[in-house]
Amino acid sequence: MPKAVLVDLTKCIGCRSCMVACKQWNDLPAERQGFVNDWATPRDTTAETWTVVKYYIEDKGGRVVWRFVKRQCMHCVDPACVKACFAGALRKTPEGPVIQDPSRCIACLYCFNACPFQVPRYRTGGEGPVIMQKCRFCFDPGGIYDRVGQGQAPACVRACPGGALKFGEREALIKEAKERIAQNPGRYVNQVYGESEFGGTSWLYLSDVPFEELGFPSAARPAMLSLLTWTPLAAGLWLAAKEA
Amino acid sequence: MTNHFIDYKNSDVVMVIGANPAENHPQAMKWILRGKAERGTKLIVVDPRFTKTAAHADIYAPIRPGTDIAFLLGIINYALEHNLYFHDYVVNYTNASFLVDPNFKFEDGLFSGATTKDGQFVYDPTTWQYQKDKDGKIKRDPTLQDPNCVFQVLKRFVSRYDIKTVCRVTGTPEDVYRQVCELYCSTGRPDKAGNIVYAMGITQHTYGSQNVRAVAILQLLLGNIGIAGGGINAQRGESNVQGSTDMAMLYHLLPGYLSCPDATRHPTLKDYLEKETPKTSFWSNTPKFLISQLKAWFGAKATPENEFCYQWLPKLDGKEHSHMAIFQSMAEGKIKGFFAWGQNPAVGGPAAEPTRKAMEKLDWLVVVDLFETETAAFWRRPGADPRKIKTEVFFLPAAFSYEKEGTVSNSGRWIQYRWKAVDPPGDAKSDLWIVDRLFKAVREEYRKGGRFPEPILNMVWDYDAPGSEEPDINKVALEINGYEVDTGKPLPGFAKLTNTGSTACGCWIYAGYWYPDPDLGVVAAKRRDRTDKTGLGLYPKWSFAWPANRRIVYNRCSCDPSGRPWDPARALVYWDGSKWVTFDVPDFGAKDLATGAEIPPEKSAQNPFIMVPEGVGRLFGAQYGPRAAALKDGPLPEHYEPIESPVRNLMSKQQNNPLAKIYQGEGAARGKPEKYPYILTTHRLVEHYQSGAVTRNSPWLTELMPEMFVGISPRLAAKLGIKPGDRVVVLTARGKVYGRASVLPTLQPLKVDGKEVEVVALPWHWGYQGMAPGDSANVVTALFGDPNTFIPEYKALLCDVRKA
Ligand code: SF4
Ligand code: SF4
Repeated sequence: MPKAVLVDLTKCIGCRSCMVACKQWNDLPAERQGFVNDWATPRDTTAETWTVVKYYIEDKGGRVVWRFVKRQCMHCVDPACVKACFAGALRKTPEGPVIQDPSRCIACLYCFNACPFQVPRYRTGGEGPVIMQKCRFCFDPGGIYDRVGQGQAPACVRACPGGALKFGEREALIKEAKERIAQNPGRYVNQVYGESEFGGTSWLYLSDVPFEELGFPSAARPAMLSLLTWTPLAAGLWLAAKEA
Repeated sequence: MTNHFIDYKNSDVVMVIGANPAENHPQAMKWILRGKAERGTKLIVVDPRFTKTAAHADIYAPIRPGTDIAFLLGIINYALEHNLYFHDYVVNYTNASFLVDPNFKFEDGLFSGATTKDGQFVYDPTTWQYQKDKDGKIKRDPTLQDPNCVFQVLKRFVSRYDIKTVCRVTGTPEDVYRQVCELYCSTGRPDKAGNIVYAMGITQHTYGSQNVRAVAILQLLLGNIGIAGGGINAQRGESNVQGSTDMAMLYHLLPGYLSCPDATRHPTLKDYLEKETPKTSFWSNTPKFLISQLKAWFGAKATPENEFCYQWLPKLDGKEHSHMAIFQSMAEGKIKGFFAWGQNPAVGGPAAEPTRKAMEKLDWLVVVDLFETETAAFWRRPGADPRKIKTEVFFLPAAFSYEKEGTVSNSGRWIQYRWKAVDPPGDAKSDLWIVDRLFKAVREEYRKGGRFPEPILNMVWDYDAPGSEEPDINKVALEINGYEVDTGKPLPGFAKLTNTGSTACGCWIYAGYWYPDPDLGVVAAKRRDRTDKTGLGLYPKWSFAWPANRRIVYNRCSCDPSGRPWDPARALVYWDGSKWVTFDVPDFGAKDLATGAEIPPEKSAQNPFIMVPEGVGRLFGAQYGPRAAALKDGPLPEHYEPIESPVRNLMSKQQNNPLAKIYQGEGAARGKPEKYPYILTTHRLVEHYQSGAVTRNSPWLTELMPEMFVGISPRLAAKLGIKPGDRVVVLTARGKVYGRASVLPTLQPLKVDGKEVEVVALPWHWGYQGMAPGDSANVVTALFGDPNTFIPEYKALLCDVRKA
């Protein structure tokens, strides 16, 4: 049964414990992105920052709305990145997570271009080859970073004090999300983001602010550059480049 | 706290005023959210800034910094005017019916008794007393009609705080304020619980104690004390600051909140006990507490014949020795040596630059910390000339929380044992190791001679663990808990303490925390049982809550005088007709200690507030013997302006608290609104902890919050031509600090008496050390203090801002 996480944005307090827990569990180094006006630095995911909490602060005619939106790889049900990756570095697992094999990554940027959420990022600088890195849903079968494979919740979920993150079976969480909407009339927008968006995702969201306003891509729009799905031509070029 | 964090989930309405739990107490915020999800708890957030907590509020009420008394008194007035107070509770469980001296007056912003002593303004509190009959009993009028009864005195006093006036003072929009009054006063019913959560936003003012009194009065009027989901819940700023207060880190106390002996008032033990022991209330056991403490400290040497070695205790000299006073003395060269132990005053104290300069006068400074803090490095701070500073600085590396074991007492008074996870790195040692070696070294010196060596040479100090480097923490814990002197057996609780010397106890309120639980086989503080019979989250066998493992203090007030719970769904204790049913440890005489017989409810209904000499909650802080509620600055809270304020006081011609403590020197310079037109306030962020000594040395946390910034409203930014991210300078009469401009709609100007007032907000986590250095906000704060607690006025000052 595929796993999922339900993010209830009405319960997030913006404590960013999830961000620190992710770095700690995955031995990721700190970056220096500098000051940003709304305090939400690092602003975006990178090869070394796999999850960020974005701030949405709006003055709605004298009434301020401030929401905290945790973002990371959505672990799509039918991931465009996997389809785009001809090097076989990415795969969708039956458990739900979309994970990568860095030894196969050739840094072609195809997955970045294919992903409707612009998640994959490339490690530049530092030692070793340039490779794509992203959230792996704490799933690392046989590796030292595995949690989900060991029956544990991801590190971010474990750290969350607000009760905003819930780990479980995807089907059950979709059901629970719908129940929360039904049982709290007026509290949520009537949408479980990720149930069907872009073919469905393993990270599911509930919100009281419309998802478009929070920067979530609307499924109505075609995924950016999905044309760049792997083609034999591109593959040939890359393989040639690799051998050269 | 009267209640505890988990209990927040039981509230119908939570009013957070002067606190920001989403950032500073995320684990507390969790329980507010639990209440919202499970029972529809309504959240009111009162704050000058729209905080992360406000993001979850049902009502966000902006308030001008320093006007909490007006805000709270306005709600009190609303409750009284609209008959929304809890009448039966007020009549039975507060001093509302007590008659006050008819000569008590309040005129022109001053209470009766204003006078001067040694050129200083003081109050003579003679008229702040109750009327007594010929037998010395307090006169009462249970009809609450007598014009001199507390209820009527209070009603008259707060009648000036109508909604219009309050909003002119606080800058809160009237419609929002009216909603707050309505919603919060809806808890003045038997079946409703209202919880007030506060922190430094309430206390850090020149009338901080009176702010707390205003909170207490409101909660008493609405019957919110002693009940699940209610209470006055002060969120302490550090994980164990409650524990350090319990252990008397404040100079005027001994452990367990016993007053520190005073050389003039208490030359002998007899004087101390006579003057400090109230005739009524649980504090009438003071002799047992103090004598057992002396036995714990001086062992067999302490005998009835030698006043239990009372003369070996240090005594107060009548002068003030709080934080600001210590640094003033240091600046005057009167202090030669200083231990900064887990404290970083060069960043965390008010008027940081004079603080740093004062340390130049020291012969020696010992810093016990994890990293070389700003305090440890004060001698090479920017602008200092190390060649001219003679202070010898010692740095002792300390173990971090998870590198040592011991208890941590949280804001809810839960004393929880924390086990060691890893060994400290390098030479770092636990605090216990350091203090043990230090004491032994000092004792060695005294063995060679010295003035007054007896207390040091005779102090009980036998914590060695054979074969171990580390002292035996169990031995320390047992001494704090208390034991029978003859057998050495731990005491199950403070009821067993005597005044004869047969018991020893280091801190009476902790008695029982180190007593083995018969079922679980561990000492109480180590218990981790998750049983919660009531579903109220009392968890009676999870750790130990002082006093006596009581989770909600004053819980007698959760039932009516006949012992019926006001709200059966929230029952903590109740009388079933023949006996008490107790889910929480009763905070009253439920059983006769000697015979075990049940004590009927009528008896405890007389004094449900057992720690208070009057036996009831105090709406009026009368001058009434030892441990009276009267504060130095009055029996009732009155609104005064912060020392630096952009406006005149609308409530009276008395601009400031006449007793506000203003210290000396450049750190106490006062700015005028003509030169410093904006209000300055300080705050914390979730990413950093206090002075940042640890967090600014953690790469993952500096990554999240790398730079000092200055919060200004979009309107002020537009007016001054400041763009987000610009470097700006904040100036006050004390100095200036630089930071990047953070321009967000979370700050908005307030309309104060028709005039727009801007608030500038500074986080105070930065300093010149660590991975992410930055200017310290406290460079611009001031040496203005509350007359009762001497807490600095960090929250409401004046400043100017410019593009740098
Ligand atoms: S969010 Fe992007 S990277 Fe993650 S699984 Fe979906 S397509 Fe792949
Ligand atoms: S840990 Fe939970 S509450 Fe905190 S920011 Fe992350 S999702 Fe939000």
